[in-house]
Amino acid sequence: MPGSFKTEGVVLRSIRYGEADRILHLYTAERGRVNAIAKGSRRPRSRFGGRLEPFFRLDLMLHEGRSELCTVTGAATVDGYPALRADGDAIDAAARGCDAVLRLLDSAEPNRAAYGLLCRYLALLDRGAGADGADAAGADRHAVGLAFRLKLLLASGFAPELGSCARCGEREGIVSFSGAAGGVVCGSCEASGFPVSAEAHRFMAAAIGGPIAELPPVSEPARRQVDRAIGDTLAHHAHVNLRAVA
Amino acid sequence: MHPAPVDRLIAELGKLPGIGRRTAQRLAFHILRSSDEDAFALATAIREVKERIGLCETCFNLAEGPTCAICSDPRRSRELICVVEEPQDVIPIERTGEYRGLYHVLGGALSPIDGIDPDDLRIDELVRRVEAGEIEEVVIATNPTTTGEATAHHIGERLRDRVTLTRLASGLPVGADLEHADEVTLGRALTGRRSV
Ligand SMILES: [Zn+2]
Ligand SMILES: [Zn+2]
Repeated sequence: MPGSFKTEGVVLRSIRYGEADRILHLYTAERGRVNAIAKGSRRPRSRFGGRLEPFFRLDLMLHEGRSELCTVTGAATVDGYPALRADGDAIDAAARGCDAVLRLLDSAEPNRAAYGLLCRYLALLDRGAGADGADAAGADRHAVGLAFRLKLLLASGFAPELGSCARCGEREGIVSFSGAAGGVVCGSCEASGFPVSAEAHRFMAAAIGGPIAELPPVSEPARRQVDRAIGDTLAHHAHVNLRAVA
Repeated sequence: MHPAPVDRLIAELGKLPGIGRRTAQRLAFHILRSSDEDAFALATAIREVKERIGLCETCFNLAEGPTCAICSDPRRSRELICVVEEPQDVIPIERTGEYRGLYHVLGGALSPIDGIDPDDLRIDELVRRVEAGEIEEVVIATNPTTTGEATAHHIGERLRDRVTLTRLASGLPVGADLEHADEVTLGRALTGRRSV
């Protein structure tokens, strides 16, 4: 039904279109994934200014006509994350996060948990931006990126089983992770999985269960295992291939 | 429906960006009605750009032959390179009349979401040009978009401490209303304010 509606949303991707327009891939609070056209938005005098660039969190007014694309009729900034935009690594992390949302959440159903998570992730990247020194800040950002993906799995209904063996229910002796089984597996069921350390297992549980800003420290090898666990879960259950966190 | 050659023309025109089936049909009939002279001039122009225009071996701008007109102009300053995303970005910078150096055309901008990584751009070629020695300053003139900024940061990392690096200032476009400026642009315009 044609008409206008208001929603908050984040620009995941912006594609130049025609002479002066853009097509936006949005993740919105009220309507989930929405594609919209912003006419004239690339003209220097456009009333949208630069706020239709990726990662802007906006209060949007959208018009829904007969076409599949909505039309953007109004946009006010909720947060532009300016610090994030001045840091190359943070831009990269945000782009990969938006890519994960695009691939995992393609329905027009609202998903408040996923929307809130995306906004919190961008805010965290913005706060941590500009911190120089690839070491500590980089490791932190990698861990936060992994936690974001794990929480996104939870919000989209693909969370892996982490409490006990996904095959037999055994709580002790967890040694592997299996995308096919849908979570961690014990020593007697490990055939289809790859080894995960206790550290990686603890990190995944903490990332899914706790606040994203309070993650336990995690070593590089454990981060790689978590990355692989996320990838295998998605490949088996959501049939999507995510770009790596870094 | 139409004779086969007309259908072929409509199909070819329909492959152009922004041209739908109806527009393609309108253009095809326009060509059919126009004089032989005009129609053949169009066909020749298309053939000529494809046969004669390639990319400059040094800067990857459009070139007739191995080197573009800018790289082969002895009056251009060889110590200065301006890095742009696409060949069409050279033109507006040339029109300012403010720039007398050389260019480097990357062939796009970094965009992990579209699968465009550093290897897909001519960044290694830029680093090699800088390593060759003559260059004193690299002006990064990628678009002030998210992908353009990501590209500028990446090039900054690669060339840091090897050469003077500058980035085009970003701020309010001439003729724009302050009222409509976004907060990030306005913030940068404030940071980069000048005395009057
Ligand atoms: Zn088991
Ligand atoms: Zn050249």
